[in-house]
Amino acid sequence: MSVEEQLIENAKQGKLLTHKCTNCGYLHLSTAYYCLKCGSKGFEDVLLEGTGTIATYTIITVAPAGFEKYTPYAFVVMLLDNVELRISGFMPDIATPAELPVGTRAKITGFDERGIIIEKQ
Amino acid sequence: MEKVCVLGAGSTKYGKLSESIADIATQASIGAIESAGINPKEIDASYIANVFGVADKQVHLGPVLMSRLGIPDKPSLSIESACGSGSVAFREAFANVAAGFYDCLIVTGVEKVTHTGTEWTTTYFAYCSDFFYEGQAGASFPGLFASMARAYLTEFDATEEDFARVAVKNHENGLLNPKAHMQKKITIEDVMNSAVVASPLKLFDCCPFSDGASSVILCSEKFAKEHNKDYIEVIGSGRGGSSAALQGREHLTTIPSTKIAVEKAYKMAGVTAKEIDFAEVHDCFTIAEIIDTEDLGFFEKGEGVVAVREGRTKLNSDISINPSGGLKSKGHPIGATGVGQVVEVFDQLTGKAGERTVKDAKIGLTHNFGATGASCAVHIFQSV
Repeated sequence: MSVEEQLIENAKQGKLLTHKCTNCGYLHLSTAYYCLKCGSKGFEDVLLEGTGTIATYTIITVAPAGFEKYTPYAFVVMLLDNVELRISGFMPDIATPAELPVGTRAKITGFDERGIIIEKQ
Repeated sequence: MEKVCVLGAGSTKYGKLSESIADIATQASIGAIESAGINPKEIDASYIANVFGVADKQVHLGPVLMSRLGIPDKPSLSIESACGSGSVAFREAFANVAAGFYDCLIVTGVEKVTHTGTEWTTTYFAYCSDFFYEGQAGASFPGLFASMARAYLTEFDATEEDFARVAVKNHENGLLNPKAHMQKKITIEDVMNSAVVASPLKLFDCCPFSDGASSVILCSEKFAKEHNKDYIEVIGSGRGGSSAALQGREHLTTIPSTKIAVEKAYKMAGVTAKEIDFAEVHDCFTIAEIIDTEDLGFFEKGEGVVAVREGRTKLNSDISINPSGGLKSKGHPIGATGVGQVVEVFDQLTGKAGERTVKDAKIGLTHNFGATGASCAVHIFQSV
């Protein structure tokens, strides 16, 4: 299974697969093949709970092809709990900024044709 | 390293154009050749910047353009770096003249997309993101910059009205540019009342999708001196990169590639931000111009928005930002944009900018990036 496929399978279980550098300990999303900090190639898999808080987001009303039927929806960037790592994804059924203040708690709930799905907790 | 000069510059009008991509690329190139006063056979090679040629049924554009210019034997290289393609092509040409490989090059940037319609243009542009994490999850380009705008509103003392002021200013400048796509005066209310595209960004916070082409002739100083035409000197060139996806950046309100590129360009040129008289910066969205002016060192972090509010970036104020009207008003034919910025600097520093002339300008800067700033090039120019 490719790294993307592994990430997808874990996202479907609400988890996030990450790569921890075995040389310096720096944590990356699992699509990293060399360490951002030290350039090493050795990683160990760390499976995180896909929970965190919304770092920033937008509510999209003019959508790319395939997403028109989902508008309005949010594209969110979530800061994961207990680590310095963010993950972005699709959040369904958000119509106004009042529904999603920065800092709102959220979690990964799946993966489908809308990419990684993140919902409010 | 050889001194590198810009000897000629040409552009089509930016907007919705009916001609083919090959036609508009040719028109801009002829403009640059005529402006430089050269015979096309003096050109050693070409660099072509283009992203979505496939949308107008023409890739491998270089040989097509060279054939039309009567020099099919001359080599060409097509470069794709999303919205930053033009400046990256310019950089490669600069490096080749500086290294002494070539004496005279043509750099032509072109885009033809408006015929595909808003939905498909939006979709194609989303392919420039880190698609696995962003485009695949429904992020549009307005959406990605809107995410940066939301972060800026959260972190700094800024309002959506402040963003609107960038659009109002650039439309004021664009009104003075006969080649601008959006020649229309707008008010803060117009921006605030325009349809939301990706909150907090509204239609008038966004640059238009444009067709258009721009072209410049780069050459060695010796070649320039032999041709008895006005020319300008390239004194600084820098490139940088950033994490392709926003999620991977340390700060969501700064673009690392800009800071890396401008530091290199300032160092090569031996100047600081204070010595820049005007700048053409990448204002694909209003928030982008505010972030750019901070990352380029014109203002402290969080102060870019204050500068806009106080009118300090208007034409002939503290520092003229986007005298051409910028991407916002002049338009954004993405392959052409970075080259078009050089055309504006050439026109400004050779006395061809008409009503939008930046008074007493000697040093101009161009800043152009791809996608959300995943790639960036900065150039600094000086009048001769």
